[in-house]
Amino acid sequence: MASAPIVSTYSMWSLFRNCRKAAELRYLQHLVPIERDRNLHFGSLIHECLELWHRQRDLALVLDLIDRRCAARAQDEDQKRDWHLATAMMRAYTERYAEEKFEIVALEHVFEGPIVNPATGAASRSFRLAGKVDGIVRIGGEYFILEHKTASQIDCDYLERLWTDFQITLYAHYVEQTLGIPITGIFYNILVKARLQQSKGETEEEFEARRAELLAKSKTGRTTARRREPESDDDFQQRLAEKYADPAMFHRERLYLSREQFDILRAELWELTQAFLDARRRGVFYQNTSFCFNYQRPCPYFALCRSNGNPNVIENFYQRVEPNEELRVLAAGASESAF
Amino acid sequence: MPILPTTKTPPKPSLSDLTVLWYGQTKIGKSQTCAQAEGAVFLATEPGLNALEVFQAPILSWEDLLAACAEIGEGKHPFKTVVIDTIDNAYKFCTDYILRKYKVEHESDLAYGKGYAIVNNEFQRVLTKLAFLPYGLYLISHAKEIEVETRTGRYTRIVPTLPEKARKIVLGMVDMVLYCDLDVSTGADGEPLIRRVIRTKPSLYYEAGDRTGRLPETIELDYRKFLEAFQAAGAPAKPQAGPKQAK
Repeated sequence: MASAPIVSTYSMWSLFRNCRKAAELRYLQHLVPIERDRNLHFGSLIHECLELWHRQRDLALVLDLIDRRCAARAQDEDQKRDWHLATAMMRAYTERYAEEKFEIVALEHVFEGPIVNPATGAASRSFRLAGKVDGIVRIGGEYFILEHKTASQIDCDYLERLWTDFQITLYAHYVEQTLGIPITGIFYNILVKARLQQSKGETEEEFEARRAELLAKSKTGRTTARRREPESDDDFQQRLAEKYADPAMFHRERLYLSREQFDILRAELWELTQAFLDARRRGVFYQNTSFCFNYQRPCPYFALCRSNGNPNVIENFYQRVEPNEELRVLAAGASESAF
Repeated sequence: MPILPTTKTPPKPSLSDLTVLWYGQTKIGKSQTCAQAEGAVFLATEPGLNALEVFQAPILSWEDLLAACAEIGEGKHPFKTVVIDTIDNAYKFCTDYILRKYKVEHESDLAYGKGYAIVNNEFQRVLTKLAFLPYGLYLISHAKEIEVETRTGRYTRIVPTLPEKARKIVLGMVDMVLYCDLDVSTGADGEPLIRRVIRTKPSLYYEAGDRTGRLPETIELDYRKFLEAFQAAGAPAKPQAGPKQAK
């Protein structure tokens, strides 16, 4: 009896394209690092906030969500930093976009469809493709995929790169197929992460050292220097609010998709499925060592590859988690079971 | 001469062929246990062996360690097990050596994190070369607690005191990661019973591992008991996990 097709995602094909070995470790062996990547926490939090805002348009609910997601901020520096940034960002966002020119058609929409051989029109018996889009919006009479992004800075390169976004073009194609809505393009909603840091003040020793340095330079032998106090939460929020008053901290961009892009993409996706099946049949998933330090940090599987797959590394630094976590649907603000 | 092998290498049958990381709290008996290994020679990077009667070479710098390793590599000695006590200090010596070589005060003084990479590469180069020698290689480290944030929450984990990247290098090359711990249970008289043990399997709360699959989960911290447990299992007690390409 033929087995059910594997539900694949953009993440799987992207990883397979970048490094076959990493794709094998994640999608066939189901390995993920035990330690969570802190960088992903803030992005997920803002996505939840935006979903809630676009659903309810109630800032109080959004701020309450941030409070709950960063409940340990009194003891946890990372959570405190995320709380400050998310609070200031969402306050400014809701003020900036109090009125929207688009209409929400769907939010956090999950889709699943066949992967089709463009030469024959036959669906793959081995794979299906699933994914989740942040939203679908209508502007005038046209439909766009809504894509939220948080970025450290928006520059020319960043905006140029949006054209190469394989994921969102793929999603647009599938939304069109599964919902029967003609998708005109992508509506990018980009929020910039402020780089401001809350000042911790200085210790008595640090102050004395700075004071001594100033005295040594002073011609009068005196200084008016005072010990720097830690910045209060209110003061830091104020500083962040001033930063977010800058219009450049938010950016929206509409990209139009051509039908040719869809055709290229379907062909590429089919090729990837064939390459994956071939690799699995032969049991050969080679490493792409050029990808080990993409994004200026080591790949999550770097330690494992370097150890040649030592089980000690697997057992101590990785855990087994079913793939496609991104497809789990939990509405923003949904309360968890009390028992 | 052809370089490709004509026969498969058999699994390493003897403890003195393996690379093992021993770690645990101070004074629990790690060095004492390793001292009982067959033909042990200590490369002592820190004091603390005074109470033990062992063959030891004091190591005060990375150059000392390289010289000792070169001598070991020549093979003109009776030793069968090399014990680096502690690997933490060896790593510090390696760092100092690189800083001196590049005339900088800190790894971060070399641009783009290059300093850290050079230290780790040198450290790995020497350990790998040592591990290839036909002797057992025991690395000793202390234990520390770190906070780990996972998908399901934060918890405290006991790990060797090496810096994170060095820890991953060492764990990736050793055959066994043995955590020396105190096991507290209740005795027949209702009083707490404290035993010194070796933990050989990983847990959420500490790092450990045994890729030979021969060892039980817990063994008394006594080299003879450890040896008995290893030799009692003729074949691996569990199939080896890991990718097909695992060595």
